[in-house]
Amino acid sequence: MHGKGLRALTLATLVALSATFALVVFWAPNDADQGFIQKIFYLHVPVAIITLIAYVVAGIFAWRQLKTGSREWDLRSYVVIHIALIFNIVGLLTGAIWAKASWGHWWVWDEPTLVSFLIVFLLYATYQPLRFSIEDPERQARYASVFAIIAGAFVPLNFMAVRMATSLVHPRTFGTANGGLPGEMMFVFLVSIVAMGLLFWLIVKYEIAQKTLTWQIRALRRRLLGDDAVAPLGRSAAPTIAPQEAPAR
Amino acid sequence: MNPLAVLAAAPAVPYDKAGRYVAAAFIVLFAIVLIYVAIMATKLQRLERDLGDINRELDRRQREQAESADGVGPAVGAATAAAAQENAS
Repeated sequence: MHGKGLRALTLATLVALSATFALVVFWAPNDADQGFIQKIFYLHVPVAIITLIAYVVAGIFAWRQLKTGSREWDLRSYVVIHIALIFNIVGLLTGAIWAKASWGHWWVWDEPTLVSFLIVFLLYATYQPLRFSIEDPERQARYASVFAIIAGAFVPLNFMAVRMATSLVHPRTFGTANGGLPGEMMFVFLVSIVAMGLLFWLIVKYEIAQKTLTWQIRALRRRLLGDDAVAPLGRSAAPTIAPQEAPAR
Repeated sequence: MNPLAVLAAAPAVPYDKAGRYVAAAFIVLFAIVLIYVAIMATKLQRLERDLGDINRELDRRQREQAESADGVGPAVGAATAAAAQENAS
């Protein structure tokens, strides 16, 4: 039943994204220090936060997979990491644009926040090759789950370590001695986090629905037309779902 | 006053360097979502093709069943008539 509620979720995401865009461009005040360039913050930071949360959620799904042995949890963990990687790329690109606009450089290697986000990206970039290297689906799911749990635990540790590191370059927005965001900026920021969270959830749901549907149709083809009508499975990084495990729609 | 003239005089996104960078950041997100939608559309087309195959096969089987059901009646009748004629003779 992964397709359930997709229409409502799509509408909610569209409304939230439109509201975010309108609020960022027309309503949020310009930053006194950075001016209009600071508006990238409403895109870059929520995307980065959703990415990091998603990696932790993927670890929780992977833990459920190890506990239950269900491929459904493996699929969820895989899809969440897959989409989080795309969000990670958006975070890196928007961060680079912001860095170029405000610091004059696309990348600053001595800035812990940037480098740690890149390290997290590179860590998760090895997830797909790891899966691809294992042919047996059971082992693939198990090893990938162990990876997702360990990497998922690394993400908050990494985040805390970076927060503890002192930096004079990257702005700190929350919990600083200088105070947080002003009310209007905070409101727009929270709307943006909700919008990015909805967008992430929507894409994950579409991806899971598509994958589940593909497997159900494959199983149906085999039952109806025989084994010859179904192309043999090649090696794949994506999890395979046995027809009996594919949820009824 | 013409609203377009107001927008042109005080644009939401300034035409200077800052405006271009902010626009670029939003275009990155928009482009990646657009690429994802395009990939998803291709996958959906494949699913539709597979479903079409399944539907065609089901139609073919239904037609065959209907034809054989039509054919069973007269064939059985003819066989029964032949057997009856044989018995009578």
